[in-house]
Amino acid sequence: MPRVALRDIHKRFGSTEALRGANLELAPGEIHAVLGENGAGKSTLVRALYGLVRPDRGEILIDGVPREISTPRRALELGIGLVHQHFMLVPALTVAENLLLGEPLPAFLRRAELRARAREILELYDLGLDPDAPADSLAVAERQRLEIVRALARGVGVLILDEPTAVLAPSEAAALLSLLPRLRERGTTVLFISHKLAEITAVCDRVTVLRAGRSVATRPVAGLAAAELGRWMVGEALPPPGSPPAMAAGAPALRLQDLRVPGLGGIDLELRAGEVLAIAGIDGNGQGPLEEVLAGVLPIGSGTLEVLRPPLAVLSGDRQRTGLVLDLSIGENLALSEAAGAGRERLYRYGFLRSSELQRVARESIARFEIRGAPDLQARALSGGNQQKLCVARALGGEPRVLVAVNPTRGLDVAATAAVREELRERARAGAAVLLISTDLDEVLELGTRVCVLFRGRLTAVEPERRTRERIGELMLGLGGA
Amino acid sequence: MKSWRAWIEPSLAVLIALGCAVLVLVLLGANPARALVALAGGAFGDRLALENTVVRMMPLALIGLGVSLAFRCGVWNIGGEGQLYLGALAATALGTRLLPDAPAAILIPVLLAGGALAGALWAGIAALLKTQRGVSEVLSTILLNFVAVLAVAWAVHGPLQELAGSYPQSDLLPEAGRLGIPPGLLRIHGGVVLVLLLPFAVWLLLFRSAVGLRLRAVGASPDAARYAGVSPEREVVRALLLSGGLAGLAGAIEIAGVTGRLFENLSPGYGFTAIAVSLLARLHPLGVLPAALFFAALASGSGAMQRVAGVPSVTVQVIEAIVIFLSVGFALAGRRS
Ligand SMILES: Nc1ncnc2c1ncn2[C@@H]1O[C@H](COP(=O)(O)OP(=O)(O)OP(=O)(O)O)[C@@H](O)[C@H]1O
Ligand SMILES: [Mg+2]
Repeated sequence: MPRVALRDIHKRFGSTEALRGANLELAPGEIHAVLGENGAGKSTLVRALYGLVRPDRGEILIDGVPREISTPRRALELGIGLVHQHFMLVPALTVAENLLLGEPLPAFLRRAELRARAREILELYDLGLDPDAPADSLAVAERQRLEIVRALARGVGVLILDEPTAVLAPSEAAALLSLLPRLRERGTTVLFISHKLAEITAVCDRVTVLRAGRSVATRPVAGLAAAELGRWMVGEALPPPGSPPAMAAGAPALRLQDLRVPGLGGIDLELRAGEVLAIAGIDGNGQGPLEEVLAGVLPIGSGTLEVLRPPLAVLSGDRQRTGLVLDLSIGENLALSEAAGAGRERLYRYGFLRSSELQRVARESIARFEIRGAPDLQARALSGGNQQKLCVARALGGEPRVLVAVNPTRGLDVAATAAVREELRERARAGAAVLLISTDLDEVLELGTRVCVLFRGRLTAVEPERRTRERIGELMLGLGGA
Repeated sequence: MKSWRAWIEPSLAVLIALGCAVLVLVLLGANPARALVALAGGAFGDRLALENTVVRMMPLALIGLGVSLAFRCGVWNIGGEGQLYLGALAATALGTRLLPDAPAAILIPVLLAGGALAGALWAGIAALLKTQRGVSEVLSTILLNFVAVLAVAWAVHGPLQELAGSYPQSDLLPEAGRLGIPPGLLRIHGGVVLVLLLPFAVWLLLFRSAVGLRLRAVGASPDAARYAGVSPEREVVRALLLSGGLAGLAGAIEIAGVTGRLFENLSPGYGFTAIAVSLLARLHPLGVLPAALFFAALASGSGAMQRVAGVPSVTVQVIEAIVIFLSVGFALAGRRS
């Protein structure tokens, strides 16, 4: 008997049909992948299972019994836990408090008891978190582990992970992937959503593909190659990865000299028109401050930052916090930079909006970047990948001559990832200067005319003749000595 | 957000509150039908009642408009009352002391602009405290209310006190400073033109201008707005200045259109009721007009209800409180679904 069965699930949001007959069966103790394009309905499907979305039609069976799952509380009672695509921790609380939040606890709980219980749970799963650390001081990977532990601590037997690796560096992703079989050994059933085909072939037992709200098939993963999986999902062979723009001797476009801010110690960098300078590195080594100082929201401590070929645009690495205003519509998000005074007047005349012009521009971006939504749709209602596409559209919309792109393909499906990378190469060929800050090694190698590594706030150039995954991996861990 | 919800929910809030009022009236042993008819009669029953209601509605609508505008930028302006007093003070000082001999064509615009400016500057203190020192505007605007009320008390006992008499009140504005009564069915002062036009202007500003997009972006996500090149501090200052300006304008209109002079207790708490108006209007600039009319009707009808049906007028406060709770409740529920 399947542990969980979702049968013929339908869900409509306004005029979008997110699910139109999705089926999914999880066998006990398997790792089951769900694969599909951005906006295919993956998150909606798992949110229905977790009680966050009420299906319009269809039934959910847990251990063969039809269940009505109306709230996350009910889902947890039935042993189902979800780690979100976008995090949902309470930042001001500590690890221990977050762990025990929502647990049935005695009314007056002493701090010491609280910590002891948290420590017990953390040690059981050997996950190395400090119970007293406030959640907002944790790195992304730690927060995610905390969410997983929180689910397990509540005795969850079915763990849903919605794109858990999208926010992780390769080494962290590997650590997470190695945790999954261990969970399986203890009898946990895992539902794993990812756009990275190699991850699916590495750890999953079966995979279900979702296309436009329908499940098209479920297959065992064993013996399936990543390329095959991709062809099967997209319906055609994937384009081969492109090669980086050739070394260009364009004019200098962006120059940083001995730039220092908290978290960055003396960055020297010259970016030229026509090239992509790729900065690899594990998150937390200064990417945040570098992005913020380039975006102009963090004041320069010392040193200089010159934009020699304006305008400069930043494609933010955090689409939900800084990339988009989620409560505004797609169109308004596209108009915001101009409303803030950047670039020439196009959407506004004498400070007042030209509505038809905005509609036209928004439609154009939607078509060009294949965003699933209409100009007036709130950005919040877009799927994660479609929010990312909107971020890309916005950064490129002002025709920047210097583009800073931070993890530009995070959360994008295979085809969209290829399209955005090609777009960045195309911009560079057309004379823009692109600074790519990415935790994804494939992306760095595929795009970078030159490659640098950011480690503990310092930048090291990778020698062109030693441009290999191994060498970059070494530098990312600070083992660059020779 | 579906557009019908914007209308259904406030109407529902009002209906439920009236239902609760019926319950309270029954418990008090009164005849609910008679009381509610008296309430409606006192608010809309004859021309005089209607005029009274509309005159009360005007400051509520203007201040409520400002509160909504500030809310949209994520700023709580609880200081409408104080800004109204400062606007009234400025208008009085201009009309009775500084420009007593100016012709109407100059004096009226100067009075209104002066009142708006004074209200804006008063709110500007809170804006500075917030952006320079991180003081919550909720606290500072509330506290500035007390200061403003005291400032008016001091003025009518001191520099602005009437020259002839000894009451703590100012002289009457010169005739050239009084708002005329435009021709029409109702005899209401000309401030009504501004009250009907400004909501549309604010709507245009919020939803069709670059400034408005910046304000709303800051209200929804200051981090993302800053990334896009907007300065959240500057927008917060702008929102508070505009919000205070509208309240100050309401104060000037009270003086020039209704009372003709300044005295203590000028406002029966318009600045506070306006917050409820803004919530019932769901922060929508045009919704402020019906919402203000509703609260004004409650206020002007409550006296009649007490007289005719013998019901304590506090029943009206029950209705007000329930409407406020339900408005907030619906807004929160709308956020979650
Ligand atoms: N609350 C909502 N309101 C309106 N539309 C929604 C809402 N949630 C999801 N949608 C729409 O439903 C569709 C499916 O979204 P969903 O988030 O399930 O996609 P997904 O497969 O998880 O995509 P991604 O890979 O980008 O995360 C999208 O078109 C999305 O815009
Ligand atoms: Mg998703």
